[in-house]
Amino acid sequence: MISVKFDPKPRHPICHNRRFMPELATMLEKIGLDRKLLRQALDLGLKSGGDFSEIFVERGIHSSINLEEDIIKETSEAVITGLSVRVLSGGKTGFGFTNDLAPERILKTSLTAAAISAGRRQQHFRRFYGRKGLPGIYSDQHPVHSASLNRKIALAREAYDSARNFDPAVVKVKVLLQDSFRELTIANSEGLFVSDSRPLVRLVCHVIAEKNGRRESGFWGGGGRVGLEYFRSSLSPQRIGEQAVREALALLEARDAPAGEMPIVLSAGHSGVLIHEAVGHLLEADFIRKKTSIFWNKLGRKVGSELVTIYDDPTIAGLRGSYALDDEGTTPEKVMLIERGRVCGFLQDRLSAGLMKMPLNGHGRREDFSYPPIPRMANTYIDNGPDDPEEILRSVKKGFYVQSLQGGEVEDSGKFTFSVSLGYLIENGRRTAPVKQATLVGTSTDILSKIEMVGNDLDFSLQTGTCGKEGQSVPVSDGCPTIKITAMTVGGIK
Amino acid sequence: MTRQGRGPKKSEIGLRDTAEMLIASALKAAADEVEVVIENSNEFQVEVRKRKIEHLEEAGTRAVRIRVIKDKKTAHAFSSDLSPLTLRRLVKNAVRRAKLATPDEFSGLAPISETRIDPSGLELYDPEVSQVDAKTKIRLALETERLALRDKRITNSYGADFSSNEARIVITNSNGFAGEYQQTCCSLSLGLQAGDTDNRVEDYWMSSKRFFRELDTPEEVARKTVERTVRYLNPRKIKTTKVPVIFEPTQTAWLLGFLFACVSGTAIYQKSSFLSGRLGEKIGNDLLNVVDDGLIPRAPGTRPFDSDGLPSRRTAVIDKGTLTSYLCNTYAARKLGLQSTGNAAGTGVGPTNFHLLPGLRTPEEIIASTERGLILTRTIGHGLNTVTGDISRGAFGLWVEDGRIVHPVSEVTISGNLGQMLKEIQFVGSDLDISTGQVCGPTVKVAEMTVAGE
Repeated sequence: MISVKFDPKPRHPICHNRRFMPELATMLEKIGLDRKLLRQALDLGLKSGGDFSEIFVERGIHSSINLEEDIIKETSEAVITGLSVRVLSGGKTGFGFTNDLAPERILKTSLTAAAISAGRRQQHFRRFYGRKGLPGIYSDQHPVHSASLNRKIALAREAYDSARNFDPAVVKVKVLLQDSFRELTIANSEGLFVSDSRPLVRLVCHVIAEKNGRRESGFWGGGGRVGLEYFRSSLSPQRIGEQAVREALALLEARDAPAGEMPIVLSAGHSGVLIHEAVGHLLEADFIRKKTSIFWNKLGRKVGSELVTIYDDPTIAGLRGSYALDDEGTTPEKVMLIERGRVCGFLQDRLSAGLMKMPLNGHGRREDFSYPPIPRMANTYIDNGPDDPEEILRSVKKGFYVQSLQGGEVEDSGKFTFSVSLGYLIENGRRTAPVKQATLVGTSTDILSKIEMVGNDLDFSLQTGTCGKEGQSVPVSDGCPTIKITAMTVGGIK
Repeated sequence: MTRQGRGPKKSEIGLRDTAEMLIASALKAAADEVEVVIENSNEFQVEVRKRKIEHLEEAGTRAVRIRVIKDKKTAHAFSSDLSPLTLRRLVKNAVRRAKLATPDEFSGLAPISETRIDPSGLELYDPEVSQVDAKTKIRLALETERLALRDKRITNSYGADFSSNEARIVITNSNGFAGEYQQTCCSLSLGLQAGDTDNRVEDYWMSSKRFFRELDTPEEVARKTVERTVRYLNPRKIKTTKVPVIFEPTQTAWLLGFLFACVSGTAIYQKSSFLSGRLGEKIGNDLLNVVDDGLIPRAPGTRPFDSDGLPSRRTAVIDKGTLTSYLCNTYAARKLGLQSTGNAAGTGVGPTNFHLLPGLRTPEEIIASTERGLILTRTIGHGLNTVTGDISRGAFGLWVEDGRIVHPVSEVTISGNLGQMLKEIQFVGSDLDISTGQVCGPTVKVAEMTVAGE
């Protein structure tokens, strides 16, 4: 289990020293940019009356190793370099980006973004100041991106061999090791000038097992903003391989899912995606201010059971959804979204916070330089409750136990689904037969009010998840303790 | 190679020079084979909401993809930084990485094909898309949303969006293939909500075309989106039951997308498809004719050649219910002992225009034929498993009694198995619109699926 820690109010030193961040200068130098040019571009962005201009510069290296059919099939390396300029004018956004970093292209991109307003200049650029990101979010021991290719291949190979040799029913294994290192610089017309360097790694294993003419697949993985030590101390490649096989083997014995309404028990960890879908998205500030979310008028109102307290916390060390600064340069904060069943917070980016006249909380994220930031989740979880997980299971006479999930989806009206890859029937307080491929459907407010028991075993899901919104994918994670829901529709076959 | 327009502009020569420079430097670094794909694109996007511009975006991007093969070992590289320094380092790294991979007898570039397809005959490029000024594009989006908001039943808007994109694609390899083409795309879309806060319903519609003048008018997009949204008002829950399910074309599209994933050569050689090893078998009933056709003029997935440099073609995938072909890139084809079908896309296999051929019945006739059943109009969630063909998704739809739509349905799921469903297709509609996506189909009625509700 991952412990959830939150250091009370870290300090964010502000510094006006001219040579305040030597490592930042290096990244910009590498791609041939200087602060003078950035200042010029920011100022140009304000020329037609914009309130705010911002430059986001990125240089990222993404690598992957694909191991399948007993061979290192492919390796790849991708370099993503580019810059975008955003100009805000009232509620309007002008946006341009380029990966040609010649000074004239950068200034032209500024002009493109400036075209969102067509008036006279209202603002001038102010002087730059720095801000440091939260310390301790990323592991700086043994970074994966700078490990040798041989070392990385060995890691992938370990997961592969453990899956291959775990059971004779395994007919196919595929292991993917992906790592990235993204160096970002964000500068804006208020003078903010910050940098962040984010590592990310993901090791996943897919297997197919076959028995008596039946085939099923299994999946397991892990990673986060961690270094190589994670794969020794937290989750070994060997375990990733074994767990993927265990899932496939369980599915080989599984029967079709039941259909209809019944009590549900969600396993700790994996079921966090339910909270991500049913609650998290609907509290993203853009959906609130546009009034498309069912929660837009529910701040302070009770929408669920007293047992439910939900947070989104980008500051948990090493988790996939964490960051030291958000993609607008704001220091991230742990946000309480639901307190004992009441809506008490939204996830903000600069645009929405400005329009709603609410404080920033560091949830403006973007997939890469070519997208504008929007309010996003980081690590979303439902907090521990009073109940013993065993007790929760024992309280259900006949129901459905959700073991592992493929993912979920929600619409703003609060209707959501999530797809269960492996579940179990619950009979007389015990998990019995394994069940495959079912979908759970529900409505946010309905489910929140039907949360009847919350366990004391909070855990986070596999550190492999990606959330998609408006065409942008960002790494996230979610968590929850064991939970009992009074009744939910299970979409199975029988 | 034939080219659109009068002659190469300076920047276009630049792309080919870059490609040739990369090939030369990889060969110099002792690669056996090299392939370079360069894409240069310009995009425009405006989003309006509640009658105001909310987001205006213009951008130009370039990216290069390199595949290097050394002693039958493969490495890929990708960069959006086209500076010679970065590219040379990437190529050198790629050759070094290739050496650490495992030899794979099936790797290697595609052989050069005799067939050359003239891109101009495919009508992929409309100069008007970039000539139309930003004001006109913004006006189209504003007008679309304004027309929809006039309807009293509409209570909120996700906004309207006009996007356009112009791209040039250059592919060169060390076997001597060199090809390029230009393409355009534009779209007008709208998303709406109806109903009060706690009983909101929503839907979305989009018209997307290669040619600006073919785009649906703001009136058409607004009307269609309003119709699609308000039909969900006042939904009812239903009891769990087994009934016939009618797939609207938007729903046939995802079903076919799932079928594509199951006939893709990659899934076949990886044995992760339930259709693996079943070539020549009757897998569906006689109504089922599925093709992948990369040569349909103006269609969204049309292109003169695939990313291996092989010419596009028309491939019958299912012919009167019989599985006649998998869809392969060069690599998957070699693994399976088959011929490539020109479906290389990036490093994998992708559709060109993968579609179910239309039948004779109108959608109205298909609904009228149904005593009791569900018209599937929207689905959410994952719940597709290529290994087994199992399907389980959250669904929205319209309930049919005695051949008539009686009320909308929400909070249900549909489940079934693709293998079973292909055999139980009762009707295929006449309403195929090939422009709606690279994977598309007409209305389809499946004899029976489980619809789970209360």
